[in-house]
Amino acid sequence: MSAVAVGPELPPDVDRQLDGLAPAELAVSVLTYNNAATVPAVVDAVHAGLEKHFTGTPAVLINADAGSSDTTVDRLAESGLPFVRAHHAAPAAQLGAVPFHGVPGRGAALRLAVAVARRLGVRALLVLEADVTSVTGEWLERLLRPVLEHGADLVLPVHARHRYDGTITNLVLAPLVGALLGRRLHQPLSGPRALSARALERLAAESRWPESGRSVADLWIAGTALADGLSVHEARLGRWRVESNTRTADLPAMVAQTLGAVFAMMDEYEDLWLGTAAGPPVPVEGPPVLPSDEPVQIDVERMIGAFTRGLRDLGTIWEHVLAPDTLGDVLSLEADDVERFRFPDDLWARVVYDFALGHHWSIVYRDHLLRSLVPLYLGRTAAYVLATRRRDAAAAESALAAVADAFEREKPYLVDRWR
Amino acid sequence: MKNTARDWYKDAVFYEVHVKAFKDANGDGIGDFAGLIESLDYIQELGVDCVWILPMYPSPLRDDGYDISDFYGIHPSYGTVADFQKFLDAAHARDLRVITDLVMNHTSDQHPWFQASRSSPLSPYADYYVWSSSDRRFGDARIIFVDTEKSNWTLDPTRGEYYWHRFFSHQPDLNYDNSAVCRAMLDVMRFWLDRGLDGFRCDAVPYLVEREGTSCENLPETHAILKEFRAVIDQEYGGDRILLAEANQWPEDVRPYFGNGDEFHMSFHFPLMPRLYLGLRLEDTRPITDIFTHTPPIPPTCQWGLFLRNHDELTLEMVTNEERAFMYYAYAHESDMKLNLGIRRRLAPLLDGDRRRVELLNCLLLTLPGSPIIYYGDEIGMGDNVYLGDRNGVRTPMQWSRDRNAGFSSVEHGQLYLPVITDPVYGYEAVNVAAQARQPSSLLNTMRRLLAARRTSSVFGRGNIEFLRPRNSKVLAYLRRHARETLLIVANLSATPQPVELDLAAFTGATPIEMLGATAFPTIRTAPYFLSLGPHGFYWFRLERPGDGDEPFGIERTAI
Repeated sequence: MSAVAVGPELPPDVDRQLDGLAPAELAVSVLTYNNAATVPAVVDAVHAGLEKHFTGTPAVLINADAGSSDTTVDRLAESGLPFVRAHHAAPAAQLGAVPFHGVPGRGAALRLAVAVARRLGVRALLVLEADVTSVTGEWLERLLRPVLEHGADLVLPVHARHRYDGTITNLVLAPLVGALLGRRLHQPLSGPRALSARALERLAAESRWPESGRSVADLWIAGTALADGLSVHEARLGRWRVESNTRTADLPAMVAQTLGAVFAMMDEYEDLWLGTAAGPPVPVEGPPVLPSDEPVQIDVERMIGAFTRGLRDLGTIWEHVLAPDTLGDVLSLEADDVERFRFPDDLWARVVYDFALGHHWSIVYRDHLLRSLVPLYLGRTAAYVLATRRRDAAAAESALAAVADAFEREKPYLVDRWR
Repeated sequence: MKNTARDWYKDAVFYEVHVKAFKDANGDGIGDFAGLIESLDYIQELGVDCVWILPMYPSPLRDDGYDISDFYGIHPSYGTVADFQKFLDAAHARDLRVITDLVMNHTSDQHPWFQASRSSPLSPYADYYVWSSSDRRFGDARIIFVDTEKSNWTLDPTRGEYYWHRFFSHQPDLNYDNSAVCRAMLDVMRFWLDRGLDGFRCDAVPYLVEREGTSCENLPETHAILKEFRAVIDQEYGGDRILLAEANQWPEDVRPYFGNGDEFHMSFHFPLMPRLYLGLRLEDTRPITDIFTHTPPIPPTCQWGLFLRNHDELTLEMVTNEERAFMYYAYAHESDMKLNLGIRRRLAPLLDGDRRRVELLNCLLLTLPGSPIIYYGDEIGMGDNVYLGDRNGVRTPMQWSRDRNAGFSSVEHGQLYLPVITDPVYGYEAVNVAAQARQPSSLLNTMRRLLAARRTSSVFGRGNIEFLRPRNSKVLAYLRRHARETLLIVANLSATPQPVELDLAAFTGATPIEMLGATAFPTIRTAPYFLSLGPHGFYWFRLERPGDGDEPFGIERTAI
């Protein structure tokens, strides 16, 4: 992985725009790629948040755009806020692949936003997603207040989500990233975030910005902040709703992109996690927001069916990826009786770690490796749904905490085999 | 990878092996379990799931082991019970399951039970067999081995009474009206299941019980006993050990052997097999489609066992006289090729060594509803020797290589249990595993590819079947459906190229993906779908509709 083309020096056209701007205390950055339909909702939320919570505080809107061909940039420019338009190139492969987060070249976009905000000398930078339309003015307050008043350097979101939303995040990404970085983060890949001037300074000086557009930059920012002893907080936000034509609902693609990002981060930035021990809990700010608990239709039987088909069809890949004991334990999971299906947490942690090791050592073609995890993920998710669907929210939270515990407990297994 | 589902047999491909014929490890000219262990990698690489072992018990071998003289042992030529255990463990280690033949209906006349039974009417085993002072009882029962037996009764001079036997006179029938016999047979099953055996192919099951005034076949009392056996095995062994019935009957007569899913897990579909050959020789789909109209539905946990050839003659009991005459005309032009009501030839010579026809019949075997059973050696196109007597001609040594004795054994040629095939066409120098393994386009490697393709879909083992009715009756076309997946199989029974138009309007918008090469064919429209097929050519298509695979689990939209 190489550094992005956009270095500490800003492109000349951005430089020119900054020359004419008044000093600002706050910067709000929106990363876009053909989001004309949804950016008005984001702009409305920015206006509402600034007027209600930061009246009189000078703010600037930064748009890091990957080359939209619709009216996205125009709509943002019409917001009435001081505006900086920064275009960044996106790798053709990412443009073609339409990654789930909808912004190809996300690393470059984030780096641009950081560089512009730092040049402006703001006290805080807020990054918002262009297609998350559930954003409200309250999000600005919840994410920025810890930076402005509580000494936070990086504030990550905790969205109120249905217990069965975000199963990739809850059962794979969060426990894995938590164990790696030594701090449990509820939604490490969720886009909205706030950064302090100190964090901007630190990141702008960093020469190892990841190029990948697939969330590696988000993870790297969190990892770098934690490794450097910056103050990382979480802020409870409201519900999370995305309206996008570019985010996929294809599970193998989701798993390949998100987990692939974590594995890529592990490969490129060993110093951020390999020797990292568990630290104190990350402060979570803001009043709890009750998640939706409406009934949802989840086809557990079909998920277990996909798991058993995986046992049959993907055995030749898993035999290469999974350690013999792990594979043996997976094979002995009783999938005949749906109601009694279980997938122990420690086994799940070892499965994910074996996949991380398989990715690290390139045991099989990496995309195949990542996609072949899907039936296992479906099995683990089915087990989670079965274990919690007749229990209360606290029990569901506790089940997730147990998963995180297992990943932390098993981390030495990963570290021992990494080198 | 082992299929851990309780109904694993529904997806499985079976491989039928005679221990004596596969590999001789101890150099006595007879195959053994040690040799079979050495050969397991080959069986695994072929891509089958379960090995079916023909009778391996101590026996005087007057019926090739189907005359068992000790249910608890291994024939000394094959090894010991410990050797069998090693074989079973080695197979399991390769994710292969194993079932063995079990002859429930009768024993050898050398079995200690029979010896005790004949010795005195007062013996504890006196009623283990069916005795009568008259040879007139059960007169409505047919004689099965018409070439060798004149009656189902034989006078035993020691006891001075007649004993009942549906097969050879040296194979007295057990008396299942005696509950002690039922208990004894269950104990036999437990003995092998305790060692980890995955099930039994139960020989000659329609004949367990006799009743006056009946054909003495398929009687309700027989079914009651079989259900009892099944219940005990399910209860004691967790439900994944299987019972496969050998009931050479019409499908409607076999149907009761499945019960309500509480008797046999599987049963052979005997009448289908000769009709595959008929359809091929007549270049007409009707013999094949017709037999399915006479095939009743079976319980969802049950499965048909399909085969092209096995260790017996190609039985023609389940065809009409006219069909049998045609089969003899087409496939047994020499009288030595006939045996009883059948033809004692292997697959390849039956089809004149025509590779395309061999592949076509294997295509049908692997894609029609049921679990396929491949007879050892047919995957390389082994030949036969009809002059060896009885069914020995299809039980010759496996042809591993062009080495001495086809690589089967190191003994002098004359010491082999049967001579290897040496004719110029099918002889071991021309047809052997080693040569075909090296040749990418060999029959062996084609079979491996077909089996690998079959493993990619559970539809083959679990789907229903719906025949399409193209105007060209030389082309067999059928849909197999299971859950959300649909496969389309198209096969040309003719030796010349054939066009066919298929009504696939119900799948408008779907794309046929050819499964062996993963090639996308033109999208299906409302107009008839046109295909052309080479001589004996076939296609396996997966019909992919737009949006296939997007059926939600309910977690996708917000999974991240």
